[in-house]
Amino acid sequence: MGIVIENLPKLLDPIPGGSKLINTVDYIANWARSNSIWPLVYGTSCCAIEMMSTGSSKHDWARFGWEVARATPRQADLIILAGTIVEKMADPLRRLYDQMPAPKYVIAMGACTISGGPFFYDNYSVVKGADHIIPVDVYIPGCPPRPEALLYGIMELQKIMCKETIRETRKKEINAVPSIDAMTVAVQEWEAELKGKEAGLKEEAKKYKEENPDYKPFKQPRKIVEKFEKVERVIHPEVGKPKTELFEKLLNQFPFLTLYDKEETNMETVEAMKADEILDFILPTDQYIPVINFVKKNADFQMDLLLVVTAVDWLDHYDVIVQLTSTTFKHKLFFRTPIPKDDDIPEIESLSQIYPTANWHERETYDFFGIDFKGHPDLRRIFLWEGFEGYPLRKDFKHPEIIARPY
Amino acid sequence: MSIQNIDLPPSVTIEKADDESEEYIMNIGPQHPSTHGVLRLVAKLDGEYIKEIVPVLGYIHRGIEKMGESQTYVQYIHLTDRMDYLASHFNNLCICLTIEKAMDIGVPERAEYIRVIVCELQRIESHLLWWGVLGMDLGAITAFLYGFREREMIADIFDELCGARLTTNYFRPGGSFADIPDTFIPRVNSFLDQMEKMIVEYDTLLTNNIILHERTKGVGILSKEKAVAFGCTGPFARGSGVDFDLRKHAPYSVYDRFDFDVPLGKVGDSFDRYMVRMLEIRESIKIIKQAIKGLPDGPYRSKELGSYKLPKGSYYAEVETPRGIFSNYMVATGKSQNPYRVKNRSPGFSNLSVMNELAKGLKLADLITIMSTMDLVIPDIDR
Repeated sequence: MGIVIENLPKLLDPIPGGSKLINTVDYIANWARSNSIWPLVYGTSCCAIEMMSTGSSKHDWARFGWEVARATPRQADLIILAGTIVEKMADPLRRLYDQMPAPKYVIAMGACTISGGPFFYDNYSVVKGADHIIPVDVYIPGCPPRPEALLYGIMELQKIMCKETIRETRKKEINAVPSIDAMTVAVQEWEAELKGKEAGLKEEAKKYKEENPDYKPFKQPRKIVEKFEKVERVIHPEVGKPKTELFEKLLNQFPFLTLYDKEETNMETVEAMKADEILDFILPTDQYIPVINFVKKNADFQMDLLLVVTAVDWLDHYDVIVQLTSTTFKHKLFFRTPIPKDDDIPEIESLSQIYPTANWHERETYDFFGIDFKGHPDLRRIFLWEGFEGYPLRKDFKHPEIIARPY
Repeated sequence: MSIQNIDLPPSVTIEKADDESEEYIMNIGPQHPSTHGVLRLVAKLDGEYIKEIVPVLGYIHRGIEKMGESQTYVQYIHLTDRMDYLASHFNNLCICLTIEKAMDIGVPERAEYIRVIVCELQRIESHLLWWGVLGMDLGAITAFLYGFREREMIADIFDELCGARLTTNYFRPGGSFADIPDTFIPRVNSFLDQMEKMIVEYDTLLTNNIILHERTKGVGILSKEKAVAFGCTGPFARGSGVDFDLRKHAPYSVYDRFDFDVPLGKVGDSFDRYMVRMLEIRESIKIIKQAIKGLPDGPYRSKELGSYKLPKGSYYAEVETPRGIFSNYMVATGKSQNPYRVKNRSPGFSNLSVMNELAKGLKLADLITIMSTMDLVIPDIDR
């Protein structure tokens, strides 16, 4: 069938009236096609919610004939790229596009899919423009674009579709140009242009002053800055068991504990702390598991909910931070364990035997900092993929895709 | 090779124990309408029964925490909009609370009340979207249309409030960037009137529907101990009877002045989680009504806009979002206007980690029910 259609214009165009026949076929085919677009349900982030809004009762895209959203690419002829595309998603997206039957169309919805948007600078994972992966027909700016903008975008696509002909297929190519920092280039050009203008203006102003000695320069009115009265901060009363009690009990059991960021570890320091400050202890590496085990099991603490396991890169060492809370008393305790940075892969014991939720939090810390948790049942990267070089939240992390913010 | 050790399992083979074994591996996502984004699940099935679920994350990992290290504190607020976009006000609030704590900035009464009203409106908005999508996941498209009808009203209110429907970026340290418009309170009142009528309609449509009962009751039972052990928070954990709501038990802003209940489930199945959220909508309406009654006059902010230099130290703040505890941990060196390290706890991340425990032994269709009642927002999980 494809061969027949491809050769049809060659056969019919020379015949008198033949070209008109082809034009009519084009017209009817385009009319039918553009009024029954079947979009693929493809949403990665915020824009997807606006896409859902467009499909729902108030904006109702069914009015324009593209209501049948399909969940499989094999039945769809339009991808609305609603949301950021990251490196890990690039390959599945390309595969989805390849699975769609031609003729197929792509709408890039939102700033992220156009250029990376708010994630352009200082970012190692976001693809700077979805048109580097698949050819895009219509771009809709916005973060996220309003439903009206999406409706307008699809109508623009309809116009493009109406101009198509079977005489030749429209060429679609992906953007082969590497992403450039267009903003910096534009600012530099603008500054250079302004410099030339300013030099000319200065001469003009000098001339004008000489001609009109009475001239007084225009004084700009002072910018009115809104003034606000300072308000005293309301500190909510302490939740759960008092800090002093927790401190005393913990120090009795483990006298080697020290408070982080405080000069002295004693009762006066704790009493001087504000009600919303949280006790933050420094743990030696060898006492990491015993102390956390103790505060979980002891009836006075009952720190049964692990909020976060994370780390901070202090250039010379890492701090592994554990944030705990109690669902019974609702008080909190923070612990930090400094581990030296001598080795390439620093090590610490895993908490996953004590708190099952630590499993994922430790995987995240391993992914971002490359800290090895000994005894972890399944330590592998969680967000990035195997083969990703480096650990992004280390301070010395470098990545070829990162474009530093110029200002 | 165990499935656990593979990042992307393209050709996973199952070791057949005997000829009658029907084990196979199925991939769900990352492009799948029921995963609410780009979550990928690798399911090990035996016939129709789930033996193991391995969530694969990172398909929308945007490195927001790394970006935070090169943005100023106030610039970071707008990035948090894009993390949990159904609770952007909450995320903004959490960053503001951290900065306020560090810089000792007070918040005027009016601003606190505005914060409560706006946040509770967004809680309703988020739950409405969840309710509509839950209906759609279980095969009732009508629920989606009903839920979005009321959701649009809130989106319009936010649009008038701050110029954005979704990525709001409204709160600032010490208040918000602008006062509420004159039409705000009347519009919220008219929305509440409508919502009170409509929530009865929702109950008729879905809550009392026998099909919903059949599909959710007894499905995905999460015990209280397991919920706590896996770090679950929010309505997801409260459905299992974990009595932990920061608004009630560790109040921030002015939540300690309002009278409201924390709905709790008894069994911990999908229906309990459903009911907890439906009751939370009613509680939020109650809070907003009290807040509007008590809304004082006065300034809406206590500090001029500008950049901040946080003193050396580490600061922590947390809020109760529609999905659970969202916390912000900022480390400042005291030398620059950028944070040294930002860490955001996303509630969905911990909630999702219990998925395997819930789905084991159930049928594949029940997996969709469980995912729906988890109320996942994947960019919040991946950050």
